[in-house]
Amino acid sequence: MTAHHRPSAGLPFARRLRPLGGLAAAAALAVLLAACGSSTSPGSTGAADTNATITVGSLNEPTTLNTVKGGNTGHAQVLLRNVVEGLTVLTDEGKVEPLLAKSWDVSADGTVYTFHLQPGVTFSDGTPLKASDVVVALERVTSDESTSARKKNLSIMKTIEAPDDGTVKVTLSARSQSFLFYLTSTGAAVTKPDAGNPETTVIGTGPYTLSSWKQGDSITLTRNDTYWGTKASNKQVVYRFFKDATAENNALLAGQLDLVTQVSSPDVLTQFDNRPEFSIVEGTSTTKELFNFNDAIAPFNNPDVRHAIRQAIDRKALLTAVWADRGQVIGSMVPPTDPWYEDLTSIDEHDVAGAKQLLAKAGYANGLSFTVDYVPSDAINIIAQGLKSQLAQANITITLNPVDDATWTDKVYKNHNFQATIMTHVNQRDLVWYGDPTFYWQYDNPQVQQWVKDSETAATPEEQTALLKKVARQISEDAASAWLFLDPAIKVASTSVSGYQKNNTTDSFYVAPITKR
Amino acid sequence: MLSYLIRRVAWLIGSLFVAGSAVFFLLRVLPGDPAVTLLAVGSSPDQIDAIRHQLGTDRPVLAQYGHWLGDLVTGNLGDSLFTQMPVLDQIAGRLPVTVPLALSAFVLSIVVAVPIGVFAAVRRRGLLGVAVSTLAQLGIALPIFWIGIVVVWLVAVQWRALPPGGFPRTGWQDPAAAVQSLVLPVATLTIAQGSVLVRYVRSATLDVLSQEYVRTARSLGYSLPRALWRHGPRNGAATVVQILGILLASSLLGTVVIESVFALPGLGSLLLTSVKARDLPIVQGTVFLMTATVLVVGLVVDIVQRLVDPRLGART
Repeated sequence: MTAHHRPSAGLPFARRLRPLGGLAAAAALAVLLAACGSSTSPGSTGAADTNATITVGSLNEPTTLNTVKGGNTGHAQVLLRNVVEGLTVLTDEGKVEPLLAKSWDVSADGTVYTFHLQPGVTFSDGTPLKASDVVVALERVTSDESTSARKKNLSIMKTIEAPDDGTVKVTLSARSQSFLFYLTSTGAAVTKPDAGNPETTVIGTGPYTLSSWKQGDSITLTRNDTYWGTKASNKQVVYRFFKDATAENNALLAGQLDLVTQVSSPDVLTQFDNRPEFSIVEGTSTTKELFNFNDAIAPFNNPDVRHAIRQAIDRKALLTAVWADRGQVIGSMVPPTDPWYEDLTSIDEHDVAGAKQLLAKAGYANGLSFTVDYVPSDAINIIAQGLKSQLAQANITITLNPVDDATWTDKVYKNHNFQATIMTHVNQRDLVWYGDPTFYWQYDNPQVQQWVKDSETAATPEEQTALLKKVARQISEDAASAWLFLDPAIKVASTSVSGYQKNNTTDSFYVAPITKR
Repeated sequence: MLSYLIRRVAWLIGSLFVAGSAVFFLLRVLPGDPAVTLLAVGSSPDQIDAIRHQLGTDRPVLAQYGHWLGDLVTGNLGDSLFTQMPVLDQIAGRLPVTVPLALSAFVLSIVVAVPIGVFAAVRRRGLLGVAVSTLAQLGIALPIFWIGIVVVWLVAVQWRALPPGGFPRTGWQDPAAAVQSLVLPVATLTIAQGSVLVRYVRSATLDVLSQEYVRTARSLGYSLPRALWRHGPRNGAATVVQILGILLASSLLGTVVIESVFALPGLGSLLLTSVKARDLPIVQGTVFLMTATVLVVGLVVDIVQRLVDPRLGART
């Protein structure tokens, strides 16, 4: 269950976020282990080699290539936009643009979408793309087989039809402002039906074909020379997967990699500073570091307590401790790339005296103590220690409880059996989770739920934006969570490559424009 | 000897059964539901139940256990929960990395550590002897991943003499590249394993040195090396064989850490990934296979010990 997390060190939920002799030994081993392209980079000179192989390092190996499986964003990073394409695409700037659909018409009530497909599109094996293939793909993402992150959202499709080979007509059960955005997800991408075992085989319409997956090691993509659009600027892209950020950095330092998709630990940057053969590129992400409370239980069901905790936190100091001068402090669940972003950092600014007063008012004049569950990673460890010492200033004692990813998902996410937790949320537009009172933090404000609902059925994008702005402000005024900061998207690359995407605002890592000198 | 063999093999099968069962049940006690790790955020309880049903993890644990045992007897370790590929195929795909790694480190440790250990014992009061045994002590004390990180940093990153990790995508089709990529991991594992062996060999040699038969041989005019060579191996062999058994097992298990440091797609990295994803069939299969290897090595060691030292047999 990782869709909203990024794998900093290969943790699933935070997914991108992020033995012995004899009997006893074997048993102990098992236990031990478990407890355990759009924005361009700086230009480079010289002629680009259009037959180059680009080697990309990543900590996020897919567990499956099945595009309708959720759980892990690894397959989206490799496949989406490179091998498989959807009707629409989410660009690195966060905009929804046409892809396999050349254009579309929307009925006056906003419930009927008629998509006109790009002419002349073929799958990489030469089979022409037909509207019926798109119908199969859209039916698949909402089928029983699907565990896609967008299954629920896309279930608003009431009927999906192919009136002719070039047209797809989708009727929604209600107006949906986000429908075109949902169509950009990996689950809604079009794959050739019956191409083989969907867990290990995928044939799409994208600029690359998947030529091999060596599990535990790498995936190789090879340019699709019959691609319908602009062909890739390189011949081959190899994604190499690492379990360990140090091993990944060493590979980059030793020249085995051309770039790494995301630097998860700020410490490693010092190795690349002042090295002319490497560029460090900072972009923006949708990765939010959160300190969440179980809003349904005492003492967190008292908003005064939540405000007190927020005021006891010095977000800027935490950000500096983790990322030095990179990244950005946030005051709600919205990254600046979303249209409904507003600077809300003035709500609950750092104020230890104010925090103590609020605690006294809530009946905790003698202090408060609780346990914080978290999945350790370089960044999260720093945050956890920082929170512990900052909160101690306001007489709040926290007990740190590191757990592994699967345990976190089970205990916190599924069973809501926690007091507070630190978690990285990477998904785009995940503000709407605050409209779901059953989501793990159990924030329950009927007004917010209504606004979230209305924003989806809004008649215009402007109306949607206005409503979501209200949501973002209200949850901050309710201190539903303590939003700490937005991670920077940092890539380190050899200066011989250019054209890679700078931001981490999408699940995909689009490699077609990358060139190498 | 035959009845001994039969008893020993029966014991081995019993051990495998107990070990396999322990692994099976411990994995089920662990928190973390594979169905949940398969799902995307925002999934409903219905979806979770549907996936559990699909994976078969909603069945009673005892039924799952029976199913697993039945498969095991027929040599089937089940399928991965995530890729649906047979566990045996996945394990087989990793052996070309792990087996050469563990075996070379094992052989190299013996070749390097035995002479050094004997030397350290004979010269135990000399400067070099003390230095050797201090270094060996250090090799034991340092965590293996740390040794690996230092080796990579120095040899691969600073000198760029060898690759810092990874394995050729074409495997052993390019033997030179495959060997190159294994040099540093093998060296690291050898440092860690060899250090342990140096200490054992040193103390075993010291033991022999103080024996009366060595003094007798010396008094008969044998030089020290000759006396050691004539009487040492036969008298010390039983212990050494036992240690070698442990060493082979720990070389295999050491690959779990080494493969992570050197980004090698071997059995250890398969195990780590699968534990994280809670791909239970793979974890079970891999741990079972590693346990079986260790137990079989133990059996072979016992038999060899009896062959080299008939005194052991006389007791039974």
